[in-house]
Amino acid sequence: MAGKRNIYRTGINVAIFIFLEVAALGLLRRSSEGQSFFINQMSHSFAAKVWGWSQNVGDYFALKGINNDLATDNFLLQTAIAKMDADADSIRAANAAKDGIVVAGRYLFSHASVIKYSQNKHHNYLIIGKGAKDGVTAHTGVISSKGVIGIIDTVSTNYAYARSFMSSNFNLSTRIGHEGAVGPMAWDGKSMNGAILREISLQHKFKQGDTVYTSGHSSIFPPDIPLGTIGESRIINGSTYEIDVHLFQDYSAIRYVTLVSNMDRQEIVSLEKKGDEQ
Amino acid sequence: MRNRALTFLILVACQVLICNYLHLSMYLSLSILPVLIICLPTKITTPVAMIIAFAAGFVVDYTAEGVLGLNSLALVPVALLRRSVCDAIFGEELVARKEDFSVAKFGWPKVAFAVSIAQALFLLIYIWADGGQARPFGFNLLRGFVSFAVGIIISVPIADKLTKYHGQSA
Repeated sequence: MAGKRNIYRTGINVAIFIFLEVAALGLLRRSSEGQSFFINQMSHSFAAKVWGWSQNVGDYFALKGINNDLATDNFLLQTAIAKMDADADSIRAANAAKDGIVVAGRYLFSHASVIKYSQNKHHNYLIIGKGAKDGVTAHTGVISSKGVIGIIDTVSTNYAYARSFMSSNFNLSTRIGHEGAVGPMAWDGKSMNGAILREISLQHKFKQGDTVYTSGHSSIFPPDIPLGTIGESRIINGSTYEIDVHLFQDYSAIRYVTLVSNMDRQEIVSLEKKGDEQ
Repeated sequence: MRNRALTFLILVACQVLICNYLHLSMYLSLSILPVLIICLPTKITTPVAMIIAFAAGFVVDYTAEGVLGLNSLALVPVALLRRSVCDAIFGEELVARKEDFSVAKFGWPKVAFAVSIAQALFLLIYIWADGGQARPFGFNLLRGFVSFAVGIIISVPIADKLTKYHGQSA
């Protein structure tokens, strides 16, 4: 009861105080230009603060609606971006096809002609009619429909120098059949279509005429490129087979080749380097 | 009671005279109105005290200063806070028992402190409302300080005189 009375008294006091102060301000405003200016300034400042505060409150309660609008805008923008991405992809693919470039998985294929090649040396090479301006880089694979031709070592603006498979230091990771043993294959150093597949463990079964493919364990060549068929085999040091391979590709007659580059090669190589460092 | 009212009116008249004839410095705004309000008897309620303050301020403004509302504006808050100041300085029992403070009962320091609070509040609003925003802060500060110091020197004896009546009624 006493509490209520106190509140009532306080209310009365405050009401009378405000009334008298407003009356005093009113008198002050009327009696002097200077005071009128300051009172106006003060009242405007107060009104602006109240307006700003009420505006903030209004803005706060409007946030839900604004968020909904933003979410809708965001959705429309995402849809537009996705559409533009799809358009850009199709334009990129069309341009690539125009330039003779085909993308398949993580490999980029393009055709090229062979300008020059050697075939009677210990380390043979090819000069390819595409260079840096065509996007050719070192470590690009050179293949044909009949097998692996070589690897590009260096490029100039218009041409590329490729190390031929017919080089004594060229080892290619291969597989017997699609799911057989894996081992390195190298040129036999004698014929135009002969190679030797080594390090095949004795427990693996194979027979003459089986096809040898690229294994896909290389960061340059894609898997399952048919290379040749198995011929005679020998056991070396009682532990592994050494197998003669009759290559499909005749290296004495190469005119056109396909360049293949692994788009993930840099990533794979840097990963290998990190692993080696550890 | 009549003596108190008469004294109050005489002191208001003194304030009118001060405003009209005692212009010592532009840094000095001498006012004894705050002490008149703070020394009003406790049994006068806050609303009545505020009305008295407004009226006293209006009379002084009307008859002397020429800027109507200036003293009223500064004096009404003093009346509003009068009881709270008394509660804080002299204790709540004083107001609860409807007794009045006096220099004899509470000593000079406490009374001077209560008067200084009233004076400071009054001058703060008075100087601000008297175009304080248009003048340099240093000027306002000096004006406030000088007016406060001189006001206290004059107000404390007046408080003593006024509270003697309180002592008689108690």
